[in-house]
Amino acid sequence: MNRRNFLGLGLGAAAVAMVPMNLSAIDFRATKPAAWTATKVDAAMKDLYGTTATTESGVKLKAPDIAENGAVIPVSVSSKLAGKTVAIFQDANPEATVAVFTVPAGGIIDYSIRIKMQKTGTVTAVVDVDGKLHSASKLVKVTKGGCGG
Amino acid sequence: MANLGKARIKAKSKKGIVTVKAMAKHPMLSYQEAKKAKKKADFITHIMATVDGKVVFEVSTSQFLSKNPYLKFQFAGEKGGKLELSMATLLGEKKSFSAKIK
Repeated sequence: MNRRNFLGLGLGAAAVAMVPMNLSAIDFRATKPAAWTATKVDAAMKDLYGTTATTESGVKLKAPDIAENGAVIPVSVSSKLAGKTVAIFQDANPEATVAVFTVPAGGIIDYSIRIKMQKTGTVTAVVDVDGKLHSASKLVKVTKGGCGG
Repeated sequence: MANLGKARIKAKSKKGIVTVKAMAKHPMLSYQEAKKAKKKADFITHIMATVDGKVVFEVSTSQFLSKNPYLKFQFAGEKGGKLELSMATLLGEKKSFSAKIK
């Protein structure tokens, strides 16, 4: 992994200062490859955290009720919990996992991203606090699919 | 290869909390879209932000981020620091961008 990173760095723009990737980084694609190909939210969650038991509290998930354009759906997750990781799943696309954030020590959980969804589905955000999962989910109606639809 | 374009980054500090808004330029081709366009699937898989060598933000991402993904995050930090945002894609492309915290 390190070696590949190093080679890749050489290809990047020369003018920008480079930072080696794996400082304290956890690449969930490398450590939990199964979670990224899981097609069901439950399966992805199990692959990632080893459990699907969640408590629906402490997590705020913001997403539109109706998304006219499935290609750009703003989703934001915020929480006051001292979570270590935050994961976003949805059940409309072929695979369930959208993104997994690693919260650095003392980090603030307030993330916004834009995602795409093929059809109407439920977006689920999970915050991991010492192995206990807190979640929030929301149904997003998609009128025009954004995933090659 | 060069799917990963320039990124726009804004980092602003207010009362010790830095808010970063970043927009990367990348088509984010999912496997399905790529098949339709007869291209290779490619998307950003990992984004990390550091200030003075300290990781302040990190995310592993999938193909379901929007095209030209936008993200917003916050961390505790002061003005004048240098924010480094590095990205990696599925096809092994890597780039990093820097911005001053205002």
